[in-house]
Amino acid sequence: MEDVISGESCGDLGRALCIITGASKGYGRTLAFQLSCLLKPGSVLLLVARTADQLNEVKEDIVTLYGGQNKLDVRCVQADLEKTEGVEKTLQAAKETSSSEMEHLLLINNAASLGDVSRFAQTFTDPAEVNRYLSLNVSAALSLTAGVLQAFPRRLGLRRTVVNISSLCALKPFPSWVLYCTGKAARDMMFRVLAEEEPDVRVLSYAPGPLDTDMQLQARRFSGDLTLRRSFCSMCSEGQLLSCRESGAKLMKLLLKDDFPSGAHLDFYEL
Amino acid sequence: MSVVSGFGKALVIITGASKGFGRALALSVAPRLAAGSVLILAARSDDRLQELKRDLCRGESALTVRCVAADLGCKAGVEKVLTETRDTDPDIDHLLLFNNAASLGDVTRYCRDFTDVDEVNSYLSLNVSSALCLTAGVLRSVPRRTGLTRVIVNISSLCALRPFPSWVLYCSGKAARDMMFRVLAEEEPDLRVLNYAPGPLDTDMQLQARSSSADDSLRNTFSVMHAHGQLLTCDQSISKLMTVLLDDKYPSGAHLDYYDL
Repeated sequence: MEDVISGESCGDLGRALCIITGASKGYGRTLAFQLSCLLKPGSVLLLVARTADQLNEVKEDIVTLYGGQNKLDVRCVQADLEKTEGVEKTLQAAKETSSSEMEHLLLINNAASLGDVSRFAQTFTDPAEVNRYLSLNVSAALSLTAGVLQAFPRRLGLRRTVVNISSLCALKPFPSWVLYCTGKAARDMMFRVLAEEEPDVRVLSYAPGPLDTDMQLQARRFSGDLTLRRSFCSMCSEGQLLSCRESGAKLMKLLLKDDFPSGAHLDFYEL
Repeated sequence: MSVVSGFGKALVIITGASKGFGRALALSVAPRLAAGSVLILAARSDDRLQELKRDLCRGESALTVRCVAADLGCKAGVEKVLTETRDTDPDIDHLLLFNNAASLGDVTRYCRDFTDVDEVNSYLSLNVSSALCLTAGVLRSVPRRTGLTRVIVNISSLCALRPFPSWVLYCSGKAARDMMFRVLAEEEPDLRVLNYAPGPLDTDMQLQARSSSADDSLRNTFSVMHAHGQLLTCDQSISKLMTVLLDDKYPSGAHLDYYDL
């Protein structure tokens, strides 16, 4: 069972439509639980991922904990965001939620992939592979965000927040991680442009720190650069990985306080 | 013809070579190449490439110029350029790849308007993927060897570092490219990798910027720059780039801007 956010952070995120991509496991799953605590009755939580079974499990657990008496309407969208149809399906599901009393639109762009980290930049000779990677990790985030903002345009009384789950990799290059670093750098910039263009939208690029997830496992088992792989292994064995809960809690605080500069890149370790 | 301080016997590849910065690069680099060098020019327009070739080969020239009409937005285009690269004499001192081909994307629209994944993918395919794949392919075709200096240049932009309203595709693409080449620099210490931001050039791309940018303030800024003669000629910018490359002191992976130099 996930911990309820401590009473230290008061307030809530209002009656919201909250969309989380990559919600079936890892960080997205944790965020789903944590956000559930903070959404007012009548809110809709839209969970998006490729695997329906895992999504449904997350939904059931959340409903058991917080969803009773129509408090929280949790919906699952099985979609592969690497494909156009996946983005469209997600958008369609979002549009089906009734918006007249919505106070807050909250989109968490979390879905991502590491890419093949066993290889170095000069082995990426196949444009199809690189395009596929960018399609999921960059294009889908832009198009989904665009679609959601258009479907729920600016209006008095509606708060709109867009979160980009970012990474230190958006700022620093890591050997054997060309796709991931490139994608994260592109996303950060994308959301900075969005923040410039839409002063009423609250845009946050949040770098969650090194989380103890499947993605981290992939990193420490497969990274082609030996030094990097070793440092991931030692982080793991020395208990330096963060729980999704710990990192998610900081993100919750940021969202509740809502005083971050729009477009900023904030890292777990800076807060 | 006296050869100015140069790159020796080289294999030089320039994408987007048919006009603007790429074309000016070709004309600036050519006199700095020793006999036996090969210059591969890639762009979509075969006509313009052939015209450029004629300009380059005027009079006596010990330079081999190969034109490759190719659309780097698709796999076949990248392959076509690589095929030319593989056919060259391996006995060179210098490999220089100028990743210059790029597009502005539709600057009449804002982030919220880019709901079509295919459009974004198409943009990234040309502006990000092709640069990575071409660079990777070229490095594999011309592997590391003693006595060979391999230089990879990414024509970057201030947009790689700063967001500009109505320019989401261009800024994202340039940010992606800078990072891509920084990773390459980390991985391959024997490579010389440079992200060069050329400054605001007086080219067709600039014309598109000042006539089409949706953001009024930005469009105005560009118009003023143009009206006040503040745009740079490609030659002005290339002159600085050449100095940087020939001095060869820049940290590999660095982002250098015309105005920093």
